[in-house]
Amino acid sequence: MAEGIRIENLVKTYGSGDTAVHALRGVNMSVAKGEVVGLIGPSGSGKSTLLKCLGAVIEPTSGRMTIGDTVIYDDGWKVGDLRALRRDLIGFIFQAPYLIPFLDVTDNVALLPMLAGKPNAEARKEARDLLEALDVAHRAAAMPSQLSGGEQQRVAIARALVNRPPVILADEPTAPLDSVRALAVVDLLNTMARQFETAIIVVTHDEKIIPTFRRLYNIRDGVTVQEGPAGSHGPDGAGKS
Amino acid sequence: MISLAGRDILHGWGKFVLTGMGLGLLIGVTLSMAGVYRGMIDDAQALLDNSGADLWVVQKDTLGPYAEPSSLSEDAERPIRAMAGVDRAAGVTYLTMQIAHQGKDVRVMVVGAEVAQPGEPGQPPHLLAGRRIVQGHYEAVADVKTGFAIGDQVKVRRNTYRIVGLTSRMVSSGGDPMLFLSLKDAQEAQFEKDADAIVRQRARTTSSPMLNPPGNPAVAEAVNAAQASSTNVNAVLVTVAPGADADAVAATIRRWQRVTVYTRAQMEEILVDKMIANSARQIGMFLVILAIVSAAIVAFIIYTMTIGKIREIAVLKLIGTRNRTIAGMILQQALGLGLIGFAVGKIVATFWAPFFPKYVLLLPADSVRGFVAVMAICALVSLLAIHAALKVDPAEAIGG
Repeated sequence: MAEGIRIENLVKTYGSGDTAVHALRGVNMSVAKGEVVGLIGPSGSGKSTLLKCLGAVIEPTSGRMTIGDTVIYDDGWKVGDLRALRRDLIGFIFQAPYLIPFLDVTDNVALLPMLAGKPNAEARKEARDLLEALDVAHRAAAMPSQLSGGEQQRVAIARALVNRPPVILADEPTAPLDSVRALAVVDLLNTMARQFETAIIVVTHDEKIIPTFRRLYNIRDGVTVQEGPAGSHGPDGAGKS
Repeated sequence: MISLAGRDILHGWGKFVLTGMGLGLLIGVTLSMAGVYRGMIDDAQALLDNSGADLWVVQKDTLGPYAEPSSLSEDAERPIRAMAGVDRAAGVTYLTMQIAHQGKDVRVMVVGAEVAQPGEPGQPPHLLAGRRIVQGHYEAVADVKTGFAIGDQVKVRRNTYRIVGLTSRMVSSGGDPMLFLSLKDAQEAQFEKDADAIVRQRARTTSSPMLNPPGNPAVAEAVNAAQASSTNVNAVLVTVAPGADADAVAATIRRWQRVTVYTRAQMEEILVDKMIANSARQIGMFLVILAIVSAAIVAFIIYTMTIGKIREIAVLKLIGTRNRTIAGMILQQALGLGLIGFAVGKIVATFWAPFFPKYVLLLPADSVRGFVAVMAICALVSLLAIHAALKVDPAEAIGG
């Protein structure tokens, strides 16, 4: 399968000298298009730092990141407009859905294509199609506060997918959900990854969903270890390697 | 692109409108203060316009008759009337006093004007109802703001006067409505002495052999009569003949009479720049304070609204929203608040203006200036919230 995202020897150091904190010490990982991988690790292991580097919200110290065929970082940003990079190449799913409370479901999803310059009608049509695919089209006119937790998370997934980004970063997307809904969300992510040929990285502590990933990356002390199908991992990421 | 500000406002429109209304009341007070100032200027100009005069002849070296006491012999009018360029001249008296009417005290400016010929300067230029004064005594014309009605009897000093006519916009520079009497009645009211003073003056006259020579009681009677009455006026109002230059006529009067003469421009300067100056500064200070308070309130509201959306702003930034879109959203909300506030303020100021005891003049130009100021203040204070929003790190949307 073609590669969705590749990270090579990514380093992130906060501060310098004696007070330097080495959050990432040379992370390597790759996710193919249409693949969903888990990223686990104990608190303080560097998961959030890695996610922020991948999301182009903080700058790594060194290393290389490639999305599809586009090198976005190689010991320095290779794209001028990080905002456009985030809008066009990366989708985000957060711990809580963080839907915009004053926009209805359709416009929450349509906002991204609108920001990218698409006409409102076209953006809303794309949003409705995605909501249909995610089985929340019947709530298209509802406000976020009128949705259940599961519905909100589906809308958040639709928002992440709407610009058809090659990569989606999901930060604890099942944290607020019960087991049934959490597993349903993972199923949905797998389906969407295949349908839209998107590489999805799911950062999680959620024991319920860890066994469902075909591939896991365990991050410890700023270094990732690729693991096979999960089966005996604890919430702190400890397990066989 | 949809309007994020519009959607946010619609989502919480109740809160937004209530906040706008609160701000609007404050803006209404600000507009009313400006209206009070304009009303004072207009009252002063109405006083000058309605007097019908081009020149004010007053006691030498005084700022009379409105800003300082001034006393002239009414005979000063005759030589003035005969001067080249003078069309009409008439003596007037002004006396501000409180008179009781139907159990309430009414503050009025009693104006004494010559009634001999209609159109003499000093008389009310128009009547709303009734007729002008035609008898030499005991008739009055009142401004409608006095609350008097035709046929009412009002007591000024010792005498009672019947209201025969009503006029409007005849007010003193302080906004007190005018009550017109004949010049003789007004002189009596203005220069009247109390009974004790008259008795003592008569006793002094009687005891003086020079004023009460033996065998000629008519001398003492004449002296007493002269002392009990006055033929003084506060000013002589002059209208210049068509085509005559008011400044030139004023210069002629100054040359030949020991008096001070003011032209319309000079009198306006006395009323506006000298009499109203302190009040204007006072109102100006209020306007500045109200503007600062309004600005602080808008700044606080917009800042609080923005801080309440920090997480949403972080998400918007993370998913690629431009800074200018976020800044625009905050700016539009601030302007929306200003727009609601101004509309409410304008409505309430217009509604409550007639209930003010003094004239409140809301000029369209002041409304335009107020609108621009409100919008400018809203735009300016939104910078604080915009600064806070632009400082939000998109990483805040990502946990940890």
